[in-house]
Amino acid sequence: MISCQDFISELGNLLDEEIASEIRERLETHLAHCNTCQVLYDSTRKTLRIVTESGSFEYPEPIAEPLVSKVMDRIRK
Amino acid sequence: MSFLPEIDAPGTGSLSALKRNFGIIPKIFRAQMLRPDLVEAQVQMLDGLLFKAGALSRIQKEFILLTVSADNNNSYFPALHCQTLQFLGVKAEQSQQIVVDHHSANLSDSDVALLDFARRLASAGPSFTDLDVEALRKASFNDEQILEAVLMVGLTQLLNSIQVGLGTEPDFKSRIIFPLKEVNPPVASERQTIDSELQDEFVSDDPDFEIVERVRNGETDAFEELVRKHGRRVYRSLLSMLGSTEEAEDALQDAFLKAFQHLPHFEGRSKFSTWLVRIAINTGLQRVRGRKDFDSLDEESEEFRPRNIQAWTDTPEEFYSREELRRLVEREVMKLPVKYRVALMLRDLEELSTEEAAAVLGLSVPGLKARVLRGRLMLRESMVPYFSKAGASKS
Repeated sequence: MISCQDFISELGNLLDEEIASEIRERLETHLAHCNTCQVLYDSTRKTLRIVTESGSFEYPEPIAEPLVSKVMDRIRK
Repeated sequence: MSFLPEIDAPGTGSLSALKRNFGIIPKIFRAQMLRPDLVEAQVQMLDGLLFKAGALSRIQKEFILLTVSADNNNSYFPALHCQTLQFLGVKAEQSQQIVVDHHSANLSDSDVALLDFARRLASAGPSFTDLDVEALRKASFNDEQILEAVLMVGLTQLLNSIQVGLGTEPDFKSRIIFPLKEVNPPVASERQTIDSELQDEFVSDDPDFEIVERVRNGETDAFEELVRKHGRRVYRSLLSMLGSTEEAEDALQDAFLKAFQHLPHFEGRSKFSTWLVRIAINTGLQRVRGRKDFDSLDEESEEFRPRNIQAWTDTPEEFYSREELRRLVEREVMKLPVKYRVALMLRDLEELSTEEAAAVLGLSVPGLKARVLRGRLMLRESMVPYFSKAGASKS
């Protein structure tokens, strides 16, 4: 049996799908019985989806070329 | 039992040095007693490198042996070194914490730097550079100590290989609870796979190899292509650290300038892009360090436990416009302490592999994973009021 603490310490690997199948099975067994970890897993997964798809910290097109020029000017000095 | 017979050895002669220093004659040496001359040679080496007083303290050396063995997924040595450290007055709990994450093991700043160095040398070998040595000098280690640190990592690798080859089982029942999967994979062949996968990751063909070579051969203009190609990644890494577009633009220029100046020292053992992002992160850090509210990249704060456990709706995004989501994510990510923010940014926004992100930040893979997870959990916590069933419907 694994504890909630064990589950949390493996949560990152589970989210990244970098996990051995036997450990995944043990985590899934835990999930089936533990509402707290279920909510935690579900909401963290959704957080990552929101972060990845939010287009945050974008590199604005208009600044890209001027920055290339600035860098190259400084290098050639 | 080992693969070769373990012979009870008399604790006399050179073997007494083992008994004195480990408290026992470890099984790994008993399994080699069909050739006492070879054991003798190893004891002499251990005596010179490990047991005798040197530039590093014995405890520091044992810390290196412990950490690197744990990173190697070695099933024998972590228990032996924890036991030895106990003889030397280090509590088992602290040794256990070093195995899990030495950043949160209540070590001095310089010992943390020393173990960062050892872990990088051992696990990220091909991407190890002079910057790593420089980091140790900055942590006030002299060259003699650095040499000893390098030798300790080498010694650990040698001993680990001997143990795997001989199949020796632990002398002590391990009192250490290792995280699932990280340590002690049941089959030795799995350990090999993990290692070879890592190697492949680092020696893979660098798509920038050709351009880098042209720049190194004096074709300065070719560098423009690298700036154009990697500008986005460098900018986003810096923006997520600094939080201001102006500062990110300035730091981007500094980072590329530094990369250009250091290009002659780039040995091509890691991908150019990994090396570049590493320079960018260091450039960003120099700026962040000057701030009043700087939270160190090294200090570990108290353990984080998720508190707010409320179910989320199926598609929590639907209550917000894309612009609102973008602003919300940027605002909440910027509230994270910088070390978690940077780790999360590299993994979840830049989508670097775990190994690449660890190499960029000079962390062990387990150390990087711990930071990413912590960042994700903290971010989740801050999002609960917006996306939980109770919160989302209110807005």
